[in-house]
Amino acid sequence: MQYKLNFTLASILAALIQIAEFLMIAIVLYKFGDIKGWSLYEVGYLFGVMTLSKTIYRTLASDVHHLENYLVNGELDQLLTRPVPILLALMSQNFRLMFGEVLQGGFILCWAMNGMIHSGQVTWIAIPYTLFSIGTGAIVLFSIGLATATVGFWITRISELQTLTEDASHAAARYPLVLYPTWLQSILLVIIPVGLVNYIPALFILRGQWGVWVLFGITAAALFCLACSLRFWKFGLTKYQSTGS
Amino acid sequence: MQSTRPIIEATNIRKHFRTPVVKEGRFSGIRTLFSKEYLTKEAVKGVNFTIHQGDFIGYIGPNGAGKSTTIKMLTGILHPTSGEVLINGVNPHKERRSVVKKLGVVFGQRSQLWWDLPVKDSYDILAHMYKVDPKDATKRLGELSELLDLHEFWMTPVRKLSLGQRMRADLAASMLHDPDILFLDEPTIGLDVTAKRNIRTFLKTLNKDFGKTILLTTHDMDDIEQLCERVMVINHGELSYDGTIQQLRNKIGLPTLFRVTFNGEFKVPVDDHCQLPVTLPLSITETIRIMEISDQSINIEANRQELKAMDILRYMSHWGEIVDIHMEEPLFEDIIHRVY
Repeated sequence: MQYKLNFTLASILAALIQIAEFLMIAIVLYKFGDIKGWSLYEVGYLFGVMTLSKTIYRTLASDVHHLENYLVNGELDQLLTRPVPILLALMSQNFRLMFGEVLQGGFILCWAMNGMIHSGQVTWIAIPYTLFSIGTGAIVLFSIGLATATVGFWITRISELQTLTEDASHAAARYPLVLYPTWLQSILLVIIPVGLVNYIPALFILRGQWGVWVLFGITAAALFCLACSLRFWKFGLTKYQSTGS
Repeated sequence: MQSTRPIIEATNIRKHFRTPVVKEGRFSGIRTLFSKEYLTKEAVKGVNFTIHQGDFIGYIGPNGAGKSTTIKMLTGILHPTSGEVLINGVNPHKERRSVVKKLGVVFGQRSQLWWDLPVKDSYDILAHMYKVDPKDATKRLGELSELLDLHEFWMTPVRKLSLGQRMRADLAASMLHDPDILFLDEPTIGLDVTAKRNIRTFLKTLNKDFGKTILLTTHDMDDIEQLCERVMVINHGELSYDGTIQQLRNKIGLPTLFRVTFNGEFKVPVDDHCQLPVTLPLSITETIRIMEISDQSINIEANRQELKAMDILRYMSHWGEIVDIHMEEPLFEDIIHRVY
């Protein structure tokens, strides 16, 4: 918060960029009415949930995403000599508020849900369900991010890999997965399970498929992902190479 | 002096670094990515040692010999490829958090303080991190501040400190939680003579008065000579020497230089035209080397492990009337150069 102008500008710009992105989809949808049966509101919902989950993950664990810097400079050395858990130390390094993203994601999500409640597609119960899903979604995204970062202990430079597992997959999950061929759907649900963040919850919350147990299933899956990536991270730490001095 | 309790034990520790072999030619990037070829560099190849409580150890070796890698293994930063480290009987790789609580670590090349914060704030964060009681922290900082003159830059952000100030601040930071063991990786690098002297005095106090165990790496042989009782030399990843400084001197046995000035005429028992330096036997086992002969004085070298200085002088007094002698001990640096 030391740099107020920087913070304000960054927030406004982030919000504008993201809204512009959504406007692109909105224009296409407006022209064609729907994408494979998914209305503009529903796509807006997917978009909003993904943005908010990602914002929580990136706010709390900014430097997990930027682990590469620590690996390249050997800065992890200092953290490793402290009597605190490495992951917590890393997460507390650069706490940053992503106000723009919250604003933008929240705005689109509210607009979409408002529309759907008015049209009678969902009831107010969808709101707590959605908030819950945003939480589990953040856990899933964090797990993916942590596992990707851990690969860095072997290959050091991970930004290309992150483009694939984080940026590309997050962008893909902003659209309903039915758009994609089956093999890609399976990848986005099992290997890089970004589908668990918004698509699967949306099928239940917006379309009433399955039952409430889906949310528990997603929670279990999210915790499983978290446990796996934490183990992987522990193992990765033993492979840390530091740098010469 | 030496207490019996081992505080650091390293058993046959090794560290290998694997780096992929970078291909040349077309699509080198992609081919490197999928290649199974690795270059294995053995940074440390099976090092053994035991360090006792209260020891002051110099750990030296040329650049790239494996000093920092060893220290990083001892402090739990790097996991050894094989072998085991025990700090106070506990493995730092299995129970990192409980072990590092008892360690102070300073890397001379890199500050562990928060770059943008005043020195004092860094200490507050550290005290919190190590769960130091606020009263103890204040008391200890008071003592440290006196020993290291911290008050002159108490409120200055770390990035504005001079190198000497930063090193003092870093040393204080590593002592804040009252660790039993200090690991110092080149704490005097780049410092001026006064700053070096201050830091040496401080380290000596820590070791002698507070009984801290200190392991120090450095390229400054004066550090070693003035501080350490024991030196370990590592070269190409292996310990090539482990013992006291005096033993090291004796083992290498570099000659002492004598410059002897005579009053008036003197006669050296060698040919006038022979090539200097020339070796002159005094008895069957004892020799001296005559390095230089001038009008007034003569330079010779002799190994004092073999010959006593008095014997040499007695012998030389036959050559003429001695008025002055000057002796130069071999430089510790030259000795170390021999070990490398």
